[in-house]
Amino acid sequence: MANIVLDQLGFAYPGALEPTLLPLSVEIKDGEAFALLGASGAGKTTLLNLLSGLLVPTTGRILFDGVDVSSQSGSQRNLAQVFQFPVLYESLTIADNLAFPLRARKAVNGFSAADIASRVAKIAGELEIENLLKRKPKTLSLFQKQLVAIGRALMRPDVSVVLLDEPLTAVEPRTKWQLRQSLKRLQEELGVTMIYVTHDQTEALTFADRVAVMADGKILQTASPQEVYEHPAHEFVGFFIGSPGMNFVAIDSATPAPMYAASGVDQSAQRIGFRPEWARLEHPPMTHPLSAVHWLGRVTHCQILGTQDGAPVGITTLASEVGELKVRGAINATVGEEIMVVVDRCVSFCAEHYVATHYAQSSTGQLRNLVGDE
Amino acid sequence: MTSVSRWVLVFYCIYLLLPLYWLMTMALRTNSDITGKFEVIPSHPTLANFAEIVSNPVWYQAFGNSLSYVVLNTLISICVALPAAYVFSRYRFLGDRQLFFWLLTNRMAPPAVFLLPFFQLYSSIGLFDTPLAVALAHCLFTVPLSVWILEGFMSGVPSEVDEMAKIDGHSFAYFFFRIFIPINRGAIGVTLFFCFMFSWVELLLARTLTGSTTKPIVVVMTRTVSASGLDWGVLAAAGALTVVPGIIVVWFVRKHLVKGFALGRV
Amino acid sequence: MAINKPYNNRAWLGVLPVLLIVAFSAVIPLMTVVNYSVQDILDFNSRFYVGLDWYRETLQDPRFIEAFGRQVLFSLSVLAIEIPLGILVARGLPKSGAWTSVLLILLAVPLLIPWNVVGTIWQIYARSDIGLLGVGLNELGLAFNYTSNPTHAWLTLIAMDVWHWTSLVALLSFAGLTSVPPAYYQAAELDGASKWQVFRYVEMPRLGGVLVIAVLLRLMDSFMIYTEPFVLTGGGPGNATTFLSQYLATMAVGQFDLGPAAAFSVIYFLFILLFCWIFYNSVMTDETVEDAVENTANNNEARHHD
Repeated sequence: MANIVLDQLGFAYPGALEPTLLPLSVEIKDGEAFALLGASGAGKTTLLNLLSGLLVPTTGRILFDGVDVSSQSGSQRNLAQVFQFPVLYESLTIADNLAFPLRARKAVNGFSAADIASRVAKIAGELEIENLLKRKPKTLSLFQKQLVAIGRALMRPDVSVVLLDEPLTAVEPRTKWQLRQSLKRLQEELGVTMIYVTHDQTEALTFADRVAVMADGKILQTASPQEVYEHPAHEFVGFFIGSPGMNFVAIDSATPAPMYAASGVDQSAQRIGFRPEWARLEHPPMTHPLSAVHWLGRVTHCQILGTQDGAPVGITTLASEVGELKVRGAINATVGEEIMVVVDRCVSFCAEHYVATHYAQSSTGQLRNLVGDE
Repeated sequence: MTSVSRWVLVFYCIYLLLPLYWLMTMALRTNSDITGKFEVIPSHPTLANFAEIVSNPVWYQAFGNSLSYVVLNTLISICVALPAAYVFSRYRFLGDRQLFFWLLTNRMAPPAVFLLPFFQLYSSIGLFDTPLAVALAHCLFTVPLSVWILEGFMSGVPSEVDEMAKIDGHSFAYFFFRIFIPINRGAIGVTLFFCFMFSWVELLLARTLTGSTTKPIVVVMTRTVSASGLDWGVLAAAGALTVVPGIIVVWFVRKHLVKGFALGRV
Repeated sequence: MAINKPYNNRAWLGVLPVLLIVAFSAVIPLMTVVNYSVQDILDFNSRFYVGLDWYRETLQDPRFIEAFGRQVLFSLSVLAIEIPLGILVARGLPKSGAWTSVLLILLAVPLLIPWNVVGTIWQIYARSDIGLLGVGLNELGLAFNYTSNPTHAWLTLIAMDVWHWTSLVALLSFAGLTSVPPAYYQAAELDGASKWQVFRYVEMPRLGGVLVIAVLLRLMDSFMIYTEPFVLTGGGPGNATTFLSQYLATMAVGQFDLGPAAAFSVIYFLFILLFCWIFYNSVMTDETVEDAVENTANNNEARHHD
């Protein structure tokens, strides 16, 4: 278990015009469940390969427990990795597969055969795969094989960090959540530092203690899932997280509508963003037009996701004067109807960066305004 | 990989190159030069041997003859194998495994066994001493091989492609010739390579089934004995020239070569 | 892979052309051969049915037995060298990069040379008067002459076959090795596996299937060898390097003893069929290669995914 620090880490492929990773710094605490979230091409695989020793940094350093390991190989860093598809030794039994990492390093860590056997039993027990120990990988399902792969990664008690590269990719959708649960439980019980790389926000947000959202070779925000959701540091984070992500509206700085000022949005803001679940639909006219940011829109599409108290809830898409907007919540309008989108909470951005969170005035007229991060 | 393997590779490459180097040096020296003095590096290289081949009809006609039956064989093999491979990859039918096995046995058949019957057969139907005879005889090996390789590649093309074409309203002919075959360009290239590899190099049948008019290069080379003995220089030059088509073919299919070997298992 | 193939007997239409051509090339001649093998043919008009007499005679013919013995020795010798050598060469090849293409082409060249030219190349190379190898060995003090010394003839033939066919084993093995997704090597490295363990647990399982194929192919092909030894040694000195094919060829073409020649052909063919059967069964149940190819395709997709 190790504390990992990335210090101004950057990477460019030899001969490439642009770097794949711009110098970034982040600290991953010992025993933390950490997720690296980003779309394809964001640079997360490159970052993973730098962590695992497959690539050597172009700039900056990687520190494991304060020791500079930038030039060390993966095995020297004592880490383990789970890949997108189960990587097992096909000719060995599951028990031998699990024992392999310990047996291979026997000379170094001095494990006896008995020690190894008991560790195999322990991990197999945690993963509930004791009944598979004598079988060969060929006879297992993909889900079982990936469980074994995870088990292999956890075998060494002193493993510095376990890297997971989209481990649910090959697994059938039905069993994905099961694997997620097992993974989270193991991480908490064993206290192993885990770094989980994925493009799937559900996986990242449900697994991690903290999430790093990446785009274009940069880490845009590193924070808890809650933080990332409520106070996105960058427009992209707001856009990427959530399904659907944030709505963005440009503020005409020459003549901003008075309703912005009433909510506390100041001159420096260029765009505001709000999550579909932070807005509601209200039939015009508005009782207090200055109390909240709002626009008139015409419903173009209703997507019903379920019901609540007998009423349909889902995502309503509207065409408005400021563009297309999506609202999530009770569906109380029909297609073609004109209705108001009232924003109870929004976030303002300047040059794509977070400025402040703003709340609508309560119906008693009291201004509630939060500036900056908490 | 490991340094042992690297060294083995290096030595093996040298082992491969030495005889080829020697062939080239011999090709660049006249026969009298060769028999007169032994040299590792030729002191008087000359293109006389190549000139002889290019100007002497016996030689260049022989090259032409060989090329003609190889091309003929490749054409027939691929044309005949394409529908068969398609069908093997898409459908099951009565006796399909047995048929596949039987085809395979033909690829493995020793040419010597067929010497006699081929000779009699082709003579009796008047095909003796024609490129078609050799092309057809070689089909015994190249057609099963082509079906084998093409089927391997075609199985990797999802049947959704067929369905999409049908849904789009295309006839089967349109689908097969304008969609399916272009998709399998790489496979056809590899098949071409292997057909060539068989037909160009074979001697026994090529010799048996050809007479004076269609003598292929392989035969002319084995008969280059004049009154003064073998002309080593010309022989070497002819040999060097037979290597060239092979290099050209493999250059064109080099990207698919490894996959072809994986699937062709040849 | 696993396309669900519907059952449709109309598929026979597609197979018909192949069937016709191969039947023409194979079935008719084979029937002829079998026909001849059970008859004593003195001339066109007088033929006597003699049953299995020719078979018995052939199997007891001392020259046949000798040729067979030589053939087995030859095939086993070249196999013993070509298989391990091919694997080592394949392991030495870089998996990708500029050199890979160049080296693959170089390896493919011996496979594309007409077999008689292979014989000629080695003839020129090994002769003790004009050959680089021949003269070189004599300069080193060894009295090397493959035309007169049977042992030297054998060694030269084996060296020639190794030169000719090791590439086949190497290319097949390379196909098997490159089908290993890099993740397996990475996982083994992280496990702390030694080089030997990597070979044993990561590479050998992949190579296993490919090797069975390589062994069977080389076995069958070497059993049929004709041209190269014919050109290089002509079967000599004496009978020292006369293998099965050559023996059959001289019988069939030279002596017009159709009956025994035909019987010989049938025996020969039956041996090959036996090997073929083993080959077919091992290939059809061996999914490793096809899965491997598919894995490689999947991995290429995965690599572009960032």
